[in-house]
Amino acid sequence: MAPFRTQHQTNRNAAGGPSLPMMPPIIHSSEGPVMAKADTIDHGVTEAPYERGFSPYDFNGGTTLAIAGPDYAVVAADTRLSSGYEILSRNVSKLHALTDGCVLGSAGCKTDVDQLRSVLDIKQKIYHHNHRKQMSTPSVAQMLGNTLYYKRFFPYYAFNVLGGVDAEGKGAVYSYDAIGSFERTGYSATGSGQAYIIPLLDNVIGHKNRADENRDLPAEEVVEIVKDAFVTAGERDIYTGDAVEIMVITKDGIQTTTFDLKRD
Amino acid sequence: MFRNQYDTDVTVWSPEGRLLQVEYAMESVKQGSACVGLRSNTYAVLGAIKRSVSELSSHQKKILEIDDHIAMGIAGLTADARSLAKYMRNECLNHKYVYGSPLPPHLLMADLADKHQRCTQTYVRRPYGVGLLVIGMDARKQTPRLYQTCPSGNLYEFYASAIGARSQSARTYLEKHYESFEEASKDDLILHALQALVGCVSGDDELTKENGSIAIVGKDEKLTLLEGEALQPYLDRLELAAPEEEEEEGKDDDEGDDEVEAMET
Repeated sequence: MAPFRTQHQTNRNAAGGPSLPMMPPIIHSSEGPVMAKADTIDHGVTEAPYERGFSPYDFNGGTTLAIAGPDYAVVAADTRLSSGYEILSRNVSKLHALTDGCVLGSAGCKTDVDQLRSVLDIKQKIYHHNHRKQMSTPSVAQMLGNTLYYKRFFPYYAFNVLGGVDAEGKGAVYSYDAIGSFERTGYSATGSGQAYIIPLLDNVIGHKNRADENRDLPAEEVVEIVKDAFVTAGERDIYTGDAVEIMVITKDGIQTTTFDLKRD
Repeated sequence: MFRNQYDTDVTVWSPEGRLLQVEYAMESVKQGSACVGLRSNTYAVLGAIKRSVSELSSHQKKILEIDDHIAMGIAGLTADARSLAKYMRNECLNHKYVYGSPLPPHLLMADLADKHQRCTQTYVRRPYGVGLLVIGMDARKQTPRLYQTCPSGNLYEFYASAIGARSQSARTYLEKHYESFEEASKDDLILHALQALVGCVSGDDELTKENGSIAIVGKDEKLTLLEGEALQPYLDRLELAAPEEEEEEGKDDDEGDDEVEAMET
């Protein structure tokens, strides 16, 4: 009996019942095809284990950050979209303006991010129709938290950071986890490069472990710090690079600039 | 002549071949205060006179936002209009979600006309008692459009139209000037809309920033609503023309029953 004919051979006689015992399956390992030991009940999986099943999530990389100032907020994200070791695009935005006063930055699984944005846009529109005004940033923050928790048991694979100005015109930044836990903070970073950026922001924006005098930074200086932060993250994190999109939100609106990064 | 015998049910024809209930519903539209719509090559404008029940009350909204590129002016039963607006807003959001682009106005209007018609052919519902003037931007062709629906379920497209109480005055004005609308600027269109409305105010009232209302959609421009202070600059430019219009006002008091104020605006 040729061992390479089929994986699972059942030999049946004319009456339809098996006439010979089942042949053990062929295992395909890195050494080539080999017949499994006949006395195993797991069909050879433990001898040459391989991943079965389907993951609904993919990690498309990228880093986002947001910093709150006295009368502005800065939200920035790199523009690289990747999957595994491949770059899918060097020019995809991770930032989305939900209202005139706040911007959502999301890294993670792009399709979940897109879907989350669609859902938030619709909810924001319905609010606008019913209340005849735009949602305030704290309201958007609450809505985003609720929307994420709604999918507590099959989460949006989206790591979010929300930046904008609150009703009084002060800068507001909210950081999230994937299932909707959130907090208003002075600054935040999320995504693949967050571990490189947060310590930097702790020192420069949070003024931790510094001897010099703490002062309010103007928006232009913060933008320069943001560029440095992304250069830092891009240096070591393979998923961060290509370019940074930086949005500065004030009570007068949103201004966008782009800054090139290393493309390696 | 047989009006009383055949008018209790919307599913009953009169001997003249009319659906009297539907016609009565259209009377309701004529009770509402005036609403005008007009368009050029690049903009479409809606104007309306907001009625207030008494000095103490607010002025009833006549123009409703449906989406960034569609607005609707109403005359008749406000509650019916709001229910339709809710439906239209939902349709716009759904379309945006599924197809990623703004709902083309002509599709929405066709759907809306069918919705109106359904109520004229069943026992358990009554016709919608509201006339709608809808302006919208066709995203693909980038042209503005003006549509009108009425309780019968008929759908019309217009270059310019007016509905509601004393709207004949507005229609006469629009007929006189419509040839200049095609190339008119945005500001001129707004002034034409307001000028058309001047003839539709009741009795001693005049068009003011409290009771006037304008909506504009345009190429590459999101829907804008002009109310209150934002209207004043346009009203000021009208004021200069007012004396001529006052002579026409007396002539045009053919419709409009000021006593019946209960539900309609």
